[in-house]
Amino acid sequence: MGGHLSYEEGKKVVVKGLIILAIVTIAEVIVALLGKGYLIKGFHLPVWLMYFLMISMSLYKAYFIVYDFMHMRYEVPGLVKSVLMPTLLLTWALIAFFTEGKTWKEWRARSKDTNLYISNIPVEKQEKSSLHNEIHPGVESTTPGQHAPVEVKDAQNESHGASDNKTDAHSEPKEVKHAEEKSH
Amino acid sequence: MSSHNTSTKEQDYLIESQGYDDHFHEHHHGDKYQMNFLTTYIFSQDHKMIARQFLITGIFWAFIGALMSLVFRIQLGFPDADLSWLKPFLGKWIVVNEAGIGKLEPEFYYALVTMHGTIIVFFVLTAGLSGTFSNLLIPLQIGARDMASPFLNMLSYWFFFLSGAVMFYSLFLSTGPFSGGWVAYPPLSALPQASNGSGNGMTLWLVSLTLFVVSVLLGGINYITTVLNLRTKGMTMWRMPLTVWAFLVTAILALLSFPVLASGFFLLIFDRSLGTSFYLSDIFVNGQILDRIGGSPILYQHLFWFLGHPEVYIIILPAMGLVSEVMSVHARKPIFGYRAMVYSIMAIGFLSFIVWAHHMFMSGVNPFLSNFFVVFTLIIAVPSAVKVFNWIGTLYGGNIRMNTQMLFCIGFVSMFISGGLTGIFLGNSAIDIQQHDTYFVVAHFHIVMGVAAFFGMFAGIYNWFPKMFGRYMNDTMGKIHFWITMIGAYAVFGPMHYLGMAGVPRRYYRFDTFDAFKGFDDMNKFITIAAAITFLAQLVFIINFFYSMYKGKKVTTPNPWKSNSLEWTTPIEPGHGNWPGKIPTVHRWAYDYGKDDREFIQQHIPLRDGEQHSSH
Amino acid sequence: MADHAIHNHDSHDNSRLWDGAKEPFKASYGKLMMWYFLLSDAFTFAGFLIAYGTLRFSSPAWPVPDFVFSSLPGDIHHKPLIFVTIMTFVLIASSVTMVRAVQEGHRYNKKGVVFWMFLTIIGGLSFLGCQAWEWTTLIGKEHMTIHNNPFGSHTENGVYLEGDGHDIKAGDQFKVGDSYLVHKHDGHWAPLSYKNEAGATKTQQLGPKAFGALFFFITGFHGFHVFSGVVFLLIIMINAWSGIYAKRNNKYEMVEKIGLYWHFVDLVWVFVFLVFYLL
Repeated sequence: MGGHLSYEEGKKVVVKGLIILAIVTIAEVIVALLGKGYLIKGFHLPVWLMYFLMISMSLYKAYFIVYDFMHMRYEVPGLVKSVLMPTLLLTWALIAFFTEGKTWKEWRARSKDTNLYISNIPVEKQEKSSLHNEIHPGVESTTPGQHAPVEVKDAQNESHGASDNKTDAHSEPKEVKHAEEKSH
Repeated sequence: MSSHNTSTKEQDYLIESQGYDDHFHEHHHGDKYQMNFLTTYIFSQDHKMIARQFLITGIFWAFIGALMSLVFRIQLGFPDADLSWLKPFLGKWIVVNEAGIGKLEPEFYYALVTMHGTIIVFFVLTAGLSGTFSNLLIPLQIGARDMASPFLNMLSYWFFFLSGAVMFYSLFLSTGPFSGGWVAYPPLSALPQASNGSGNGMTLWLVSLTLFVVSVLLGGINYITTVLNLRTKGMTMWRMPLTVWAFLVTAILALLSFPVLASGFFLLIFDRSLGTSFYLSDIFVNGQILDRIGGSPILYQHLFWFLGHPEVYIIILPAMGLVSEVMSVHARKPIFGYRAMVYSIMAIGFLSFIVWAHHMFMSGVNPFLSNFFVVFTLIIAVPSAVKVFNWIGTLYGGNIRMNTQMLFCIGFVSMFISGGLTGIFLGNSAIDIQQHDTYFVVAHFHIVMGVAAFFGMFAGIYNWFPKMFGRYMNDTMGKIHFWITMIGAYAVFGPMHYLGMAGVPRRYYRFDTFDAFKGFDDMNKFITIAAAITFLAQLVFIINFFYSMYKGKKVTTPNPWKSNSLEWTTPIEPGHGNWPGKIPTVHRWAYDYGKDDREFIQQHIPLRDGEQHSSH
Repeated sequence: MADHAIHNHDSHDNSRLWDGAKEPFKASYGKLMMWYFLLSDAFTFAGFLIAYGTLRFSSPAWPVPDFVFSSLPGDIHHKPLIFVTIMTFVLIASSVTMVRAVQEGHRYNKKGVVFWMFLTIIGGLSFLGCQAWEWTTLIGKEHMTIHNNPFGSHTENGVYLEGDGHDIKAGDQFKVGDSYLVHKHDGHWAPLSYKNEAGATKTQQLGPKAFGALFFFITGFHGFHVFSGVVFLLIIMINAWSGIYAKRNNKYEMVEKIGLYWHFVDLVWVFVFLVFYLL
């Protein structure tokens, strides 16, 4: 309803909102630049502090927009809860998804041809595998664990097959992969 | 449709004297409502008509989906049989060799399995079940004239219809419909060249389901707003029938989970058509590595199952609500543990958002993460068991009417227990290593969310048919339908547990070529025959449904089941606005059965002098 | 409750309340539906942003945004985040004018509503213009597309062996996580050579593909929301001008509803800004 503030008060909130959001945004940008060493040469904020500051300032902005601009402050508690509480369901989603992302990275790092994932210079496809060897001659020796990658690869392939249920579609690439590894 | 004249005769004096006057009938409602054939039956904005549209469309899709399952069951039970008699229906998908023996194309077998899943899960058990009964019962049971926005409600049905039309069209593509499983995992769904069905079939599948998401969201927003904001005077949240509670939580689940599915679909559409690599990495085609790297197919699985698991409860919760209500009415007893039931529904709703990865234990998710998902999953057993206990508690000592809807309720509880128990097996990641993607899984989810949800739906249809069409369904035919379906369902899915434990994988085209699975030929034949008989029993239902619609016994009293909830205070055939005069005011909860030696007390009847509210 | 009485005498079928005695949430059904729509839309964006985070967590290296988003119109380079800060201001300002429009609506000041909505539309269009410029620069000048991402970042310390005039001289040192841009000449990528700490000679590689695809996809989806917002604002502004909302006598509720949507677009931008430009 929003009629809980007088017109003049409402106008003040608007000006206040503009100033607050502008200041917070500038503060965020300064933190980002400080954190990555753009403002003071050679000075980096600790990463955790930078992330903490940026995320909490963004959450504050979000809170301000919802509560003052969208007038959530003046709604009845039931409505507030019915809209805001469901977003808490995302907490576990964030944890689970990001943990998964990290896991993929770790497993790929254990796999032999790590560079497949970071490099994608569009060269002719036939040259692809040889290119990696040229660019990263020392990679094989520095990658820890020669046996682990093969196991991981197999596990991944199997699980894909299991979930897709078109196991035949996957068995073929697996063979190809082995052949490729032998050729090193 | 009924006019106000016919209904004034039966209208309750109480509603007029105590009810709430919202001046509804003083206004002209323009030409939007029931002015001609088009606005009455096609583009209707009346929630009762939209409910009937959802129901009949749902029955149509259930029929198609069941027919598909019969075809692939024949393939599994009788892999060597001559299927050339199916040629007139399936055309080129039946290949007849020189000896005149017709064979089902393996590609089409996969398409059938995929379509069966998609159709039953989305079109029948989501739209057909919650679409029908949320529309019918929410306004009637909370005492509202209609949905919050009748127009968006109409759009919700027509988006569903459109989505169905697109899917139906995809069945007739020359490359066949999508065939990579109803979950549409990449890379089969992300690379158009991956299989026949991955091309146009998958494109139409995506279009269809995106339209479906729109339909669900339009419906869901409406249901939530209606329940929260449009209840009649006196209808506090704790006086609502359990059906309405179930529909509310269902709508919330749909509102929060379908958008995530939509995001997953949008990314998939980009992968398919614009060559991005959100879901693709390390793909070899013909020995060549594709230039599509950096994504992960597991990401799609996570996004899909973030919807997928709530979806399971979107299917089963309405059935639970319907069963609770029907059971209480026909056991002539208050529902046992009303508040516990409500809290269980909420707990199930909440838990459904934090357990999704139990569908993916074997897909390579982080095993450490799996532990949490196992624990969360097993916790669901608690509210589920509370509900089962309460249903049995409701039946205990009741004056039970053994009519068709009551039988289906009891059948529901039976199915829910059997299917729920196997869920505990599958929820353990360690046991899942053996059981995943076998017929054990197939048996589990068919019993717990397929058959059980259908039973809830049948209970609802038999019970509210008088409200929808002003006539009764035939009870004898209903009982025949129930007993064959009940026995048939166990005969079909019971043996599948055994197959699954023996390691028989799902989605295979035939088993007699594997030494390990040869021994199950007879069991597969048995399952197929049982499935065919169960299917025939559904024809009994369909005949009963359409026959009763026109020729069934007429309802002569507004409250044929002597039920408490508000929908039975409306005229036999309620017009637009539901109540001809004022809206009833609510004075008590929905389950005052057998109180103070009165058999039932409807919700709009005020407390007597000295009468206490039932404690619940 | 005055609001409620007004609704009951509203002759519009669609906008009247089918209500019993009270509105528990003291808000019309239209506003509630808008809130729940926004909630579901928030989950759509959450799906995208979570997918973004997951893919980013799964990549060994990710370009540093300060390096990627550092161009300004007028051929100005290496001014990190200035342009996107301006974009953010534009969007915040348009949100502020929207609040003003809603306030004028509550006072039934038709001219005020139209004026402030007009400013809001200008703000929305400016934001879209900024985004168009940003995309054009990224695609046209730096060759970042949904398929290729020339912005890479080093996974080890090292020193450049050759400079090509793009502000990098031979012998320049770099650290893990530093960003670089792989240039394109005559349709070919021209990566620089460098020596890592172990002494091996290597070449710069393109960055994670997902970066470009996710950037264009998610900012595009947000931009699409802004665009539809502008269209709706335009329609509602014209309606307000014609006086039909004044007749409905419900404090220009339609303006309030589109206001909710518009603030939501701003809200989403807070998070898009956070994850793409800041983190």
